[in-house]
Amino acid sequence: MAVQAAHAGGGIADHIHPEPQGFIRRYVFSIDHKIIGIQYMITGFVFFILSGLLAETIRVQLMNHAGGFVSNDTYNEVYTVHGSAMVWLVIIPIVTGGFGNFVMPLQIGARDVAFPWLNMLSFWMFPVAGLLLFSSFLVGAPVAGWTEYPPISLEGGVGTSMWCAAIFLIGVSSTLTGINFIVTIMQMRAPGMTFTRMPLFVWAQLATAPLSMVATTALAAALAALFIERQFGVPFYDPTKGGSPVLWQHMFWFYSHPAVYIMVLPVFGIVSEILPTFSRKPIFGYKMIAFSSMAIALVGFMVWAHHMFTSGLAPYLQLPFMILTYVVAVPTGVKIFSWLATLWGGKIHLTTAMLFALGFLALFTLGGITGIFLAAIPYDLHIHGTYFVVGHFHYVLVGGSLTGIFAGIYYWFPKMSGRMMNETLGKWNFALFFIGFNGTFLPMHWLGILGMPRWVPQYDPQFEFWNRFASVSSFVMTFGILLFFVNVIWSLRNGKKAGANPWGARTLEWQLPSPPHYYNFKHIPNVYGLPYDFSLPLPYKGLDEELTDSPAPVPAGSH
Amino acid sequence: MPHGAVADPDEGQVDQLYAETRQLRLQGFLLFLVSDVVLFSSFIFAYLYLRNTLPAWPPPGINRLDVGFAAFNSVVLFGSGVTMHYALESWKHGKFARYANFLIATIVLGAAFLAGQGYEYTNLYMREHVSWSGSGAFGASFFTLTGMHGFHVFVGVCYLTVLLLQSCAGVYTKEKYFGLTAGTLYWHFVDVIWVVLFSIFYLI
Ligand SMILES: [Cu+2]
Repeated sequence: MAVQAAHAGGGIADHIHPEPQGFIRRYVFSIDHKIIGIQYMITGFVFFILSGLLAETIRVQLMNHAGGFVSNDTYNEVYTVHGSAMVWLVIIPIVTGGFGNFVMPLQIGARDVAFPWLNMLSFWMFPVAGLLLFSSFLVGAPVAGWTEYPPISLEGGVGTSMWCAAIFLIGVSSTLTGINFIVTIMQMRAPGMTFTRMPLFVWAQLATAPLSMVATTALAAALAALFIERQFGVPFYDPTKGGSPVLWQHMFWFYSHPAVYIMVLPVFGIVSEILPTFSRKPIFGYKMIAFSSMAIALVGFMVWAHHMFTSGLAPYLQLPFMILTYVVAVPTGVKIFSWLATLWGGKIHLTTAMLFALGFLALFTLGGITGIFLAAIPYDLHIHGTYFVVGHFHYVLVGGSLTGIFAGIYYWFPKMSGRMMNETLGKWNFALFFIGFNGTFLPMHWLGILGMPRWVPQYDPQFEFWNRFASVSSFVMTFGILLFFVNVIWSLRNGKKAGANPWGARTLEWQLPSPPHYYNFKHIPNVYGLPYDFSLPLPYKGLDEELTDSPAPVPAGSH
Repeated sequence: MPHGAVADPDEGQVDQLYAETRQLRLQGFLLFLVSDVVLFSSFIFAYLYLRNTLPAWPPPGINRLDVGFAAFNSVVLFGSGVTMHYALESWKHGKFARYANFLIATIVLGAAFLAGQGYEYTNLYMREHVSWSGSGAFGASFFTLTGMHGFHVFVGVCYLTVLLLQSCAGVYTKEKYFGLTAGTLYWHFVDVIWVVLFSIFYLI
C-alpha cells in the first residue's frame, strides 16, 4: 500500500473499511450512513402512515358538526398524538436523519459521517421513542395537544409522562445527529471543496444542525422539568405551588419555533438541488441562498414569543417579537426569488421530482404569507387558537416540508435503490396530493377567520359544509399518498435501471454508481468549483474511473 | 504530527489517522459541551424567570442560602480545577508520578465538593425544611440546578478515576492522550458552570 500519509488531502477518509458481513450488521445495526439514512426514512414513513390514520380519524369526526365518530376524550388523544408524531417522528427524522445521512456525506465526498457508531445510536433511539409515544394509547394518550401546555399537561394520565420521555429521547437523538453533522461538514469535505463550493443541500444541513443541537437541548430541559413536576411534584409550571405555566410556553416555543426551520431548511436544500437540475441552469444567487439559510437559523432563535401574544406578555416585549418575525421573511423571500430566477429562462423538465419541487414553492409561499398575517399582533389576537392557525402551519409543514420530502424521494430514489420510480404513477401521485391538499387546508383559513376554534370534537353547524369539503379533499390527498407507496414498492422490483446519473445532475453523489459502494469513493476526488454550472465540464478530478465514462444522459419522463 | 519524523510508512499512517480522528473527536466533544451549556442555561432561565414572578426572594418563610459554607466548598472545587491543569501539564512533560499525584488530588477534591454539597442539602432539609418539591420555585430551581451540577461532578469524578486507571495501564502515551484532554476540558467546564450557579444562587 502506498504511503497514505503523504497524500494531499482527504485524510482519514482514505482508509477504506471492509464492508461488514451478515444481515444484522449490514442492514439492522449498520454504521453505514447510507443504510442509516434509509432506515430513518422507512421508520419515518411507518410513523407517517400511523399519523395519517390519526389525521383521517380527525377528518371523519369533523364530517358532522356533532361529531360522533370517536368520543371526545379519544379525539383529544388523536390530535395530540397526530401532531406530536408528525413533527418529531416523521418530518424531523426524515429531513435530517434520513436525507441528511444519505445525501450529505456523498455530496461532500466523504466515506461516512464523523462518528458512525454515534450515528447508529442516534437512529435506534428513534424507533424506541416512536413505540413509546404510540403505545401511550394503551394507557391513555396525552390530551393537551402537541404543545402540551400546563396546567392541562400536568393533569393527564401516565400517557403524558410517556410523551415526555419519548420526545426527550428523540430530542437526544436529534442533538447527537446535529453534533455529528456539524463535525462531518466542518472536517470531512473532499479536498478543494471550500465552503462556497458546497452543494446547497449541504449548506442547508449545516444551518439545520446547530438548530437541532441547541434548540432541542432547550426542549429537553423543558420536558425534563415537566416530567419531574408530573412524577415528583416539583413545582415549575403549577401556579398554585409557585410555578408558572407561561414558563413552559417560553421554553417550548424557544425550541418549537426553530423546530419549524429544522423541518423546513433541509427541504430548502432539497429544492435547491432539484430546481437547477431540471432547469438545466446554474442556481441563481448561490451565496444568497446559502447565507440566507444561516440568517434564518440565527433570527429563528429570536422570534419565539410570537406564539404567545395572548399569554399576557408586556406590550413592549411583544413588539420586538413581531418585528423580528417580519425580519425572517426577508431571507426567506431572498430564497424564493432566487429559485424563481433559477427557473426563469431555463429548459424545464417536468419530472415528478420537479413537480413536487414547484408544488413546494407555491404551497410554502402561501404558508409563509399567512405566517406574516399571524405575526401581526392585532390580527393574531383575533385569530389565535382558530383553524386559521391550523391552515397556516399545515401549508408550511405539509405543503412545505412533506411536499419537499416527496420531491427528494423522487429525486434520490434512483440513487438509493438503483431503479427509477414510475413517472406516470408519480404524476397521479402529485396531482391528487396537490388538489387534495389545497381542498383540505385552504378552507381552514376562512373557517378560522369566521371563528372556528381548533382542538374541538364538535362545532357550530354553520361550519359544516367547509368541514365536509375538507374531509372529502383529505380522502383525495390520502389516495394520492397511497399511490406514492404503491409507486415505491412497484419501482423497487420493476423500475427501470437507473444508472449512475439518470437526471444529468452535477453534485458528487450522481458521479457514483447507484446504489453507491459501501465505501462511497475509492479515491476521494478533488473539487474545483461549484456544482451548478451546467455549461462547464464537471468540476471534479480523480473520480473513480468506472464512472467518468458514463454517458451524459437525458432526464427520464420529461415532456 | 510531523510526517517526516517517522521512518516506517505504516507507523506514519497510524499517526496521521490519530491526528485526524483526534481533531474530529475534539470538535465533537466541544459541541457536546456546548449543548450541555444550553441545558444549564435553559434551567437557569427557568430559575430567573420564576424568581422574577415572585415579589420577594427568597420567598417568605425561607432563609437566604448560607454563603460562607458554599464559598468554602467553591474554593475546594476551583482548587481541583488547578490541580487538574497541572496534572495534564505534567503528563505532557512526561512526568508520570507528578501527573498521578495531581490527578488523585483532583479526584479527592471533587469528591470533597460532593460531600460538602451533601452536607449542605442535609442541612437545608433537616434544619430549614427546604425540599425539592415542597418549597415552591425556590426548592425546585435550587435543587434541580445544583443537583444537575452535582451529577456532572459525580460523572467527572468517575471519569477521572477511569482515566487514572487507564493511564496506569498504559492506554495513553506522551503523544496520544485525547482522553486526558477531554477529561480536563470537562472538568474545567464543570468549574465554570459552578461559578455561574454560585453567583445566581448565593450572591444575587
Ligand atoms: Cu413561530
